[in-house]
Amino acid sequence: MPSIPASSSETPAAGAAQPLLAARDLRVHFFTQGGVSRAVDGVDFEVGARETLGLVGESGSGKTVSSLALLRLVPRPARIVSGAIAFEGEDLLAKSEREMTQLRGRRIAMVFQNPAYSLNPIRSVGDQLGEILVWHEKLGRAEARARVIELLSLVGIGDAAARLGQFPHQLSGGMKQRICIARALLCKPALVLADEPTTNLDVTIQAQILDLLDDLKQRLGTSMILVTHDMGVVARMADRITVMYAGRICETGPAAEIFRNPQHPYTRALLASTPRIDQRYARGGRAALPAIEGRPPDLRTPPRGCRFHPRCPEATPECARLTPQMTPIAPDHAVSCLKRGSSGTET
Amino acid sequence: MAGLCLVLLVALVALTCHWIAPYSPDDQSAMIGFGARAAPSLAHLLGTDRNGYDVLSRVLYGAPTALAVGIGTMLIASVVGICVGGVSGYAGGLADELIMRCTELFLVIPVFLVILSMVRLFGVVVVGTPLESIPYLNLMSIIVLLGLFGWPPIARLARAEFMRLKQAEFVEAAHCIGARRRDILFRHILPNALPSLVVVIALGIGGAILAEAMVSFLGFGDPKAVSWGQLLYFNYESLKVAPWASIAPSAAIFITVLGFNLVADGLTDAFNPRLKQ
Amino acid sequence: MSATGTSAEAKPAAASALLRVEGLTKLYPVVRRGLFRRRETGTIRAVEEVSFSIAPGETLGLVGESGCGKTTTARCILHLVAPTSGRAEFEGTDILTVFREGNRDAILSVRRQLQYVFQDPYLSLNPRWTIAQTLSEPLRVHGHVPRADWVKRIETLLELVGLDPSHAWRYPHEFSGGQRQRVGIARALAVEPRLIVCDEPVSSLDVSVRAQILNLLVALQADLGLSYLYISHDLSSVRFVSTRVAVMYLGKIVEIAAVDELFEHPRHHYTDALLQAIPVPDPQARSARGKLTGEVPSALNVPAGCRFHPRCPAALPVCREVVPELRPMGANHLAACHNPR
Repeated sequence: MPSIPASSSETPAAGAAQPLLAARDLRVHFFTQGGVSRAVDGVDFEVGARETLGLVGESGSGKTVSSLALLRLVPRPARIVSGAIAFEGEDLLAKSEREMTQLRGRRIAMVFQNPAYSLNPIRSVGDQLGEILVWHEKLGRAEARARVIELLSLVGIGDAAARLGQFPHQLSGGMKQRICIARALLCKPALVLADEPTTNLDVTIQAQILDLLDDLKQRLGTSMILVTHDMGVVARMADRITVMYAGRICETGPAAEIFRNPQHPYTRALLASTPRIDQRYARGGRAALPAIEGRPPDLRTPPRGCRFHPRCPEATPECARLTPQMTPIAPDHAVSCLKRGSSGTET
Repeated sequence: MAGLCLVLLVALVALTCHWIAPYSPDDQSAMIGFGARAAPSLAHLLGTDRNGYDVLSRVLYGAPTALAVGIGTMLIASVVGICVGGVSGYAGGLADELIMRCTELFLVIPVFLVILSMVRLFGVVVVGTPLESIPYLNLMSIIVLLGLFGWPPIARLARAEFMRLKQAEFVEAAHCIGARRRDILFRHILPNALPSLVVVIALGIGGAILAEAMVSFLGFGDPKAVSWGQLLYFNYESLKVAPWASIAPSAAIFITVLGFNLVADGLTDAFNPRLKQ
Repeated sequence: MSATGTSAEAKPAAASALLRVEGLTKLYPVVRRGLFRRRETGTIRAVEEVSFSIAPGETLGLVGESGCGKTTTARCILHLVAPTSGRAEFEGTDILTVFREGNRDAILSVRRQLQYVFQDPYLSLNPRWTIAQTLSEPLRVHGHVPRADWVKRIETLLELVGLDPSHAWRYPHEFSGGQRQRVGIARALAVEPRLIVCDEPVSSLDVSVRAQILNLLVALQADLGLSYLYISHDLSSVRFVSTRVAVMYLGKIVEIAAVDELFEHPRHHYTDALLQAIPVPDPQARSARGKLTGEVPSALNVPAGCRFHPRCPAALPVCREVVPELRPMGANHLAACHNPR
């Protein structure tokens, strides 16, 4: 789906079309006994209408926390410390909890990683989905039931009426995830947050679910934020990609551009170090993947300056001193790296 | 932490009571001077009780008895419980079923009735035999009986832990290395099962002290041993006249059992760091 | 029956195989226990008639989706689970019989040759033992290193897997997932094995750390002359590590071939669908449209004939009735299909 690019000369919020959701300078910190963990530290991203944003990073990058922050569902001991989140023109951080409850499931919905844990095991499928409609849209029970059946068929579950009485443990992983997707789409939300929706599924089921998400997106016109660590999934699904590392954004741009011309050393290293099924490798011990040395930092004591610099093959002394800012290097392609022209601020 | 302080206090008292108590526990001299059931005063900090004993001294001397009961009982219960539960959990199958049915049998038996009757029986049987001269025989028999009835909960927990750990991946790895079963049980499974067991054992110590207090309060305790429950037994009739004689031992029981319970709480938190947040 | 050798050479099967598995089967009876009797209501056919071989210095990748039986197969070979039937020969010795008979010395000598690296680095190390204790256990059990040399040997092992020897006195919770996995590898190497079964060694690790461990495995193989049975559901890492690959579906091997041959010219429809379903990190590449409908059937009710036929786009009537055997499809390429691509 073509995305609506924001031109580099204007600030993103004043772009050609108002983005559906825009997060600015989002900071979420975990306040633990062992110290303050800066899980998300100054993150900007946005999603346009009918667009899929891929939020890529490994565990600890802050991608899941960022998506939870959009719904103000960050678990204790985390708190949203600062930032602004504008959704359909309204500031989400200024809303009351009651208003957020109206919003969740209705305008913004979420699909979680492990479908087994996100479905209530002691209630039947029909009950769980039906109650959402009763609660949000004040539908009668018969009407709710009909809508649920319609949606279950939409997500590819055959014999939907029979499934209504079943319980989650009677269903396979792929089936459960379909139900979670149906649940997310029940009230026709404008934005769906999908957090690693296929990570726990087998490869062939993953392909089915990704196809389904794609089809639904086209048909219903929803935007999506897809959080994942899998570069293959994001290449398949995303229109635009934002790469995160250790709570900060490394790079953001259209999917094709990021894969064709990755700029940030972390993006490059990540792409290079992932083995591919369409590539031949040397045998006899001569093969070596260009691996990223070291490991992700402890966010209670993150590195000074650029957070990737301890592992970066191109790091300079400057990188340890200055924090790079997101700087556009092409229309709609921005990077935060001193070696790619970003300006830096003293930490 | 608070629990640990309380427990240490009690332990300290138990160890040093001989020196810090102002009077011997058998000293009934107060009968002559101050009189029995005298209110607390400088000479008798907690007053005297019905028989003219100094309450403070008796309470202090009760500490080693309480600790002996608590620790002795749980020692017996833990050893039996861990062995039985461990074998049951690790072996599984028919052995597990049989052992668990025996365990349930012990749980079903009304503990107090048995203990009371056995103590009485024992008391009668022993009269006139050389066994009578063993000091604190009555107390020891109470400890043994409490221990013999206190092992089922520990066995249950041990069984659950052993069953869980039997499947643990590091146990499989040890298997894969070629470790013997004996090694796996004692070096891998047991050390990892102990944390949860220690918590239950700490709680059990408090429970054992309470149980002994109840047995003594009912009059079945060892007359030669100084025990808080016994103090209550002697003095509860004069509750209105000389309340200090009952309140002091009750407070002592409360502090001790609370101390052990807090220790158990603290241990639970220590072994579950995730709960802290 | 089984293909051996790399794609470049074809070695005679019997002579060079380090490990030969034939007809390995593991069935789990599902039993309903009444008050007085037991009734078998079904059988879970976890692994059925699996045969393959591994030559010295080679890596056989075993792939398949969840429930295909790949982990069960590996556990049967190492007797972490007792197989129902079948044979496994290591350099001519029938190891399954050795395990069954229980002669401790014989079992120990087999356990020295074959080792296992577990999937979860967080669960496969005893949390109450230091790394040094974990690494000295194999030395103690097998006794091939005199006690005085243990510290030196532990240091050597840690260096071999890229860890700092001075960290030997730490506990597992002080290490990251990648480091713990290295310890798991070091433990497997402590007995100087010839073949190591790696069960999803990188699935639980961070993406940026996986490459390090994969590189380590490949380097160790070249330096120490090891063979691997590499089990994974992630085909991209399998392609990197393996010399030959076997694909399993619902308890049976459906295709087995040299790695490049399998990935580029799959003959079985399941292999093809599997490869098609994997999204490639390239937006321009063919989009991974799922070619397969439906779900993997339960191992309690395996389809008759070819187990894949209900989902196969090219199923013939014969596929419903006759179980296909592994047949040669070219040099060192076997597939079990009546209607191969």
